[in-house]
Amino acid sequence: MDPIHQFQVQNLIPLGKLGNASIAFTNSAAFMLAAVVLLTVFLLGATTRKAAVPSRLQSAAELTYEFVADMLCSTAGKEGMRFFPFVFTLFMFVLTLNLFGLIPYAFSVTSHIIITAALALTVFLIVLTYGLVRHGLHFFNLFVPKGVPILILPMIVAIEILSFVSRPISHSVRLFANMLAGHIALQVFAGFIILLGTTLGAIGWVGGVLPFAMIVALLALELLVAFLQAYVFAILTCIYLNDAIHPGH
Amino acid sequence: MSGFARGFRLSSELVAGVAVGALIGWLLDRWLGIAPWGMIVFLLLGFAAGVLNVMRAAGVVRERKLND
Repeated sequence: MDPIHQFQVQNLIPLGKLGNASIAFTNSAAFMLAAVVLLTVFLLGATTRKAAVPSRLQSAAELTYEFVADMLCSTAGKEGMRFFPFVFTLFMFVLTLNLFGLIPYAFSVTSHIIITAALALTVFLIVLTYGLVRHGLHFFNLFVPKGVPILILPMIVAIEILSFVSRPISHSVRLFANMLAGHIALQVFAGFIILLGTTLGAIGWVGGVLPFAMIVALLALELLVAFLQAYVFAILTCIYLNDAIHPGH
Repeated sequence: MSGFARGFRLSSELVAGVAVGALIGWLLDRWLGIAPWGMIVFLLLGFAAGVLNVMRAAGVVRERKLND
């Protein structure tokens, strides 16, 4: 009944202690491992027997490849393709975890901000590192727009830097909040059925059809959100990478 | 992109800017003992950054570019 209970991280296999924090193989880690294994099996299975006329599995893999490659090419250009393995991994990982979360009783890993923040910070650090390595200190020109009067330039630079630093926050919060809100809504409507049934008896169970219909509709919406948020996460990664790659395109 | 997703994207951009500004201001106040000036200055700068984020996300202002 508690809508938050589903997000509880449980220790499955305790692995010892690091300082005061206990290290354990959690249900969150288990689902991440499952996602990685599933993706590996899917992609290996799709690419071991390559045929000119692709099998169903192979064309599914080709579709995902083309989808991500198109997205990357159109936002970050040809040169962005060197980041293809990273963006593809990120997109497939987030998408699989989002979809896993929709299975009843499954744990939705991406509804934890620590996971999405870690992913967003990885992107942020890669953009920063690659930009600095590629363009040197010239990269900081990103924060100095052209044609701004010298008098207000310090303020503009400060605003640009804050805007840059705030990226990982909006990047991570968007995915996390969407997943969290969706799963809480599902749980609350499911709670209504139980509540109606246990308090009103037979009439309540019949009335429970209404929230149940709502759950079905919400689940369809959540399926869309799961895909859309993985897409948004990946395309924002592409846009941010574009900053590091392209000097004044 | 659906209206809900778009609205969510824009609002998170604004909140992120303000949150970063507030955090930096608070930390500066603590470390340098200049309360409340760090908070005042950086909260306002953060708000401006948030608005800039929103305008960029909405496509009203062009993305930042490196000029070489």
